[in-house]
Amino acid sequence: MQNKYIYISLLALILLSSFMLIQNSEVIQNFTLETSQIEFEAGSPIVLKFSPSGEKAPLLYCSSSYGSTLIVPTYNSKFLMYNIPFSISSKIGVVNWKLIYEDSFISGKFRIGPKKEVSSMETYIGPPSIEAGGTDYTMLVVIPTDSLDNPFPDNTLVLAKHQFLNSEENEVIFTEDLISYKNIYSQKESGRIFVSSESLGTNSKEFSVTVFPAIPIDFKISATRPHGYADGNQVTTFSTSVIVDKHNNIVADATYVTFFITNEKGNILKSSGATINGVATSKMIHPDYETQWSVKAYVDGMAESELIILKYKQVIKSFEVAFSENNRDITVGPLQSFMKQIIPDGIKVTLLIYKYNRLFKTETKTSFEGLVNFNLKSYIYNNDDYTIIVKTAGLEKTFHSKRLW
Amino acid sequence: MNKNIIRSILIGTYILIVVIIISGISSLFAYLNTGADRSSMLHTKLKKIEQYTPEFIWSPLNNEGRPMDQLVLKQIENDYLDAWYVKLLAYKTNTTIGVKDYYTDNARENIFSFIELNSKEDVTVESTTLNHHPTLDFFSEDGQLAVITDKDVVEYKRVFKGKKLILEATEKSTYKIIFLLEDGFWRIRHLVKEKNEIFKPEFNLKAVKHLNIKGINYYPQATPWNMFGDEFDEVIVAKDFNIINEAGLNSIRLFVQYEDFGKANVNLKKLKKLKRTLDIAEDNNLKVIITLFDFYGDYSVLNWTLNRRHVVKIVSTFKNHNALMAWDIKNEPNLDFKSRGKSNVVSWLDSMIDLVKSLDDQHPVTIGWSNVQSASILKDKVDFVSFHYYEDIETLDFAIQSLKKEVGEKPIVLQEFGMSSYNGIWKPFGSSEIDQANYHKKAQEIIAVNNLQFMSWTLYDFELVPKKVVGSLPWRKNVQKRFGFIDVSGTKKAAFRFIGQ
Repeated sequence: MQNKYIYISLLALILLSSFMLIQNSEVIQNFTLETSQIEFEAGSPIVLKFSPSGEKAPLLYCSSSYGSTLIVPTYNSKFLMYNIPFSISSKIGVVNWKLIYEDSFISGKFRIGPKKEVSSMETYIGPPSIEAGGTDYTMLVVIPTDSLDNPFPDNTLVLAKHQFLNSEENEVIFTEDLISYKNIYSQKESGRIFVSSESLGTNSKEFSVTVFPAIPIDFKISATRPHGYADGNQVTTFSTSVIVDKHNNIVADATYVTFFITNEKGNILKSSGATINGVATSKMIHPDYETQWSVKAYVDGMAESELIILKYKQVIKSFEVAFSENNRDITVGPLQSFMKQIIPDGIKVTLLIYKYNRLFKTETKTSFEGLVNFNLKSYIYNNDDYTIIVKTAGLEKTFHSKRLW
Repeated sequence: MNKNIIRSILIGTYILIVVIIISGISSLFAYLNTGADRSSMLHTKLKKIEQYTPEFIWSPLNNEGRPMDQLVLKQIENDYLDAWYVKLLAYKTNTTIGVKDYYTDNARENIFSFIELNSKEDVTVESTTLNHHPTLDFFSEDGQLAVITDKDVVEYKRVFKGKKLILEATEKSTYKIIFLLEDGFWRIRHLVKEKNEIFKPEFNLKAVKHLNIKGINYYPQATPWNMFGDEFDEVIVAKDFNIINEAGLNSIRLFVQYEDFGKANVNLKKLKKLKRTLDIAEDNNLKVIITLFDFYGDYSVLNWTLNRRHVVKIVSTFKNHNALMAWDIKNEPNLDFKSRGKSNVVSWLDSMIDLVKSLDDQHPVTIGWSNVQSASILKDKVDFVSFHYYEDIETLDFAIQSLKKEVGEKPIVLQEFGMSSYNGIWKPFGSSEIDQANYHKKAQEIIAVNNLQFMSWTLYDFELVPKKVVGSLPWRKNVQKRFGFIDVSGTKKAAFRFIGQ
């Protein structure tokens, strides 16, 4: 039974409180907005006025693009005044508000637009380098902003300007979705495009985009050398013609060129160089025996040269070999070059020593003042018969059954 | 002799001290030598934690500028949502943590100025966004700048002055956002709110006259409050449902525990088991009320999106199941009023009702209030009013009368009621099985007189009651074990005669 009373009293309380609520909302004063302006400029002071003014000062909820807050009013005899804080009044967009009193509210919204002047041209340009030829392009994105960092609304006029060689162009574009953009295409020539923009009398700074040459086309090579002899001493220099792209732009410096040299035996020598002003050079030491080189250069995966042939003449016609000291001391030379001059130091002489028709030992030395001297030591070469072959500059001489003792 | 003892003690002590000092130094040295894992140094194991998952649907791509690919679009989506999250967190706490990662130098100043303003005025804003409908407007040729329009962003806000809740608002806004790719983050450079209106979700009420719920709250005997775990056994469920059906009942109430079901990422294994349960219910001509949240007590606004993921997954999985009868949003939410704040809980429920109704326009929705006093909360939004009653049976009739006055025509379901037949050391003068039978007899009479629908608690006596249900006090636990119509050994108790009408 006791519970029954509790419920009755509870019920009564609920009924009473709802009655109270109705009572309250009847006496409540209805606030009305006295500010009729609904468009404001960013940064200008915004005050929302409500009447009637009174002791009761409800809070105003206010929400902008970036966030929300509650505003405490000030009041005079006529109005309740809500000063919209700078955090809200400085940013563009819709601002919605709600005045909450007791269980009722009024709400509304106003719009803040950007200031009238463009203060900075927020510019993004990319990619920063493009290829010549008229198909590649870079994109200029301009966001005109006011001094409070607000972008401008759609259809704001922006002048996109760019200069390349002899041409200067201005084009009118309009902002859409807060930005404006323009694609700038390369021309046939390589070089540098200068870009800027203008809106409402404010100009951007200068931006530049590099137009690199397109990929190279096939090219020629040449070789220069002090003489045509295979002396193993002088150096042959290879160089390319000026390497260009299909629009005749000289390829970018440091384009890597590889020279492949194939000799008569089918061996490949490789040498490489990077271009300066379109020309790459590379060097190779002369062979030390008579041979013929086939040379071809490549820019990997892009272009190649035609083939050139180089012949190297035999430089040593013949040579002498002298045995002494029980045939253990072998002197090769004097080695003489094409004008019978002593050949420069460093030519290679190889001695192949056979014992019982099997290769027993190989000795290699280089020439000094035209001569090479081998000493066959008795503790290596026992007293016996040996076949000795002497090789140099692609020539060889064979001595059968030389007895060492 | 004496001298030798003293000497050995001295030497022993000396050695001991040296050992202690050395081991101390060595452990300090070892500690200083341990450092961060090399892999952590490189941030290679960055784990993405789901913390903010509002509905997010891209419009088909039709942007100006460079064609967009899905990978970059996903990156923009992630960073954009993170940007929202850090902003909401910043305004909730009036701190700036994380803001600089997602807003450019200039843009973050706007947020900082708001934080400064709000902390000066002692204003905090708890808010979340529920829906995003972004369209990619523009993507620059170099892939460094993107513009999106996010239409109809539904934002829910609770604005506090001091600790006092001043305003609760749900708004629908349209934003234009310019992103710049900086340091690998898609940062917000400009943000402009273009449209705003007060958001009022549409919802329609379902006719529920046909339901005629005569049911029972169900947990298997061996695994109460852990129904969908490893011990889930279809044979047992089928047997139990058969018993329920034979007893003349037509429905059961099941519980989905939010954390147990994997929170935002619903555990598919458990979902499968729930589906099997519904299949078996259908085989046994039983309809099912699914309780979407049980044992979940955090209603904080920033976690709403995670809760909503959970709801979306479960509702969309089962909304076309033949056995489904209704959705119960949350079991006994009014118990959290004290700890979480009534308005917070009610707003959460309100929002969840809207969500469920937006996903499933066929099935009615209710809330399982734990007492009659709370049952009229949100009465205009639920399709039928549910309440639980464990008080004196004598006052039930009066409680129903008073509730009827409050909710009017809306159908009422007595969604949980019952009596424990525990009578033992922890409650020497408890009720007997006869008392329990009388209780149910009486209850059914009152139900019949008031033309009420009902679901009793529960089919079985339980051997084990987890701590999370009624705590660990034995006089509570043991009472909770004996609410069943069937005892631990499987024998029907006297009350079983009154399980239905």
